[in-house]
Amino acid sequence: MYNTGYRIVNDKDEAEDVLQEAFISAFNSLDTYRGDSTFGAWLKRIVINKAINQLNKRKTERIPEDDRWDVKAEEVEDALEGYPFTVEKVRAAIEALPDGYRSVLSLYLLEGYDHAEIGEILGVTESTSKSQFNRAKKKLKEILGAV
Amino acid sequence: MKDSLKQFVDGHRSEFDHREPSDKVWDGIKNSLPNRTLWNNVILWRAAAVLFFGISAVLFTLGSFQSGNKVERSQLQGEFTDLEAFYSEQIADKVDLISDIQEIEDEEFAQDFAKLEAMYQVLREQMKTHPTQQVKDALILNLLVRIDLLNQQIKNLEDSRKEEQQPEV
Repeated sequence: MYNTGYRIVNDKDEAEDVLQEAFISAFNSLDTYRGDSTFGAWLKRIVINKAINQLNKRKTERIPEDDRWDVKAEEVEDALEGYPFTVEKVRAAIEALPDGYRSVLSLYLLEGYDHAEIGEILGVTESTSKSQFNRAKKKLKEILGAV
Repeated sequence: MKDSLKQFVDGHRSEFDHREPSDKVWDGIKNSLPNRTLWNNVILWRAAAVLFFGISAVLFTLGSFQSGNKVERSQLQGEFTDLEAFYSEQIADKVDLISDIQEIEDEEFAQDFAKLEAMYQVLREQMKTHPTQQVKDALILNLLVRIDLLNQQIKNLEDSRKEEQQPEV
């Protein structure tokens, strides 16, 4: 849960605040848990929402300004055979991504949400989520020096 | 199209959860929880539930645990399976006993019980993938909290039945 929050806010202190707020909020809202998802999934969603709110508080643009919204999902050339990097390098590259790219990429790759769910979480369309994910992957490869 | 990044991440998923929060988070959660009077009908049980939630919170916070070697893991799982069977039987007996006395009409009791069951299922998954002493303890505590809750419910039902049976003066 801490790692989930950290990947979105990308800051130790803020991630700890997010986690603390999320658990307290979850405890105070236990009576709203309906059991239609697992308890873990319910709790994780609270952590993510708190983390996204924290990002918004920073008044950071979730999506870089030079990108258009609601653009058609583009395919990214995926010529790499395997992924010739260490986990440490990939982790560092993910942390070096802009907030918007990092959030979409983490939610899709590491938290296992699909693009429709990510769209709902971030308040964007499904195709924007797909498009931003592909751009995030491209940026990640640039950071890793693979392009 | 084959996504090499996704394959890479899937293959090393647990290594991406490498960070751990400081104790400050746990202290903050602990200091905030007792103010809540969600289950104020049974003080002892409420305290146990708060404690259980706190332990669960810490376990979720840690995310992944340092599991011991295979022998330790299977030993923990074996111990847990025995204890789970023992306490689950007690829970089933007590639920039957309550059902025999009357239908469970206490909505709050039913909801609290369901929440504990939900928490239990999450921890049980954790026990399968990352068995540790902490997860085992949290699972056992969850079972004990439920037994205590059921005992309290049985006592309440028996008390009210006695009152009904007393002749009017």
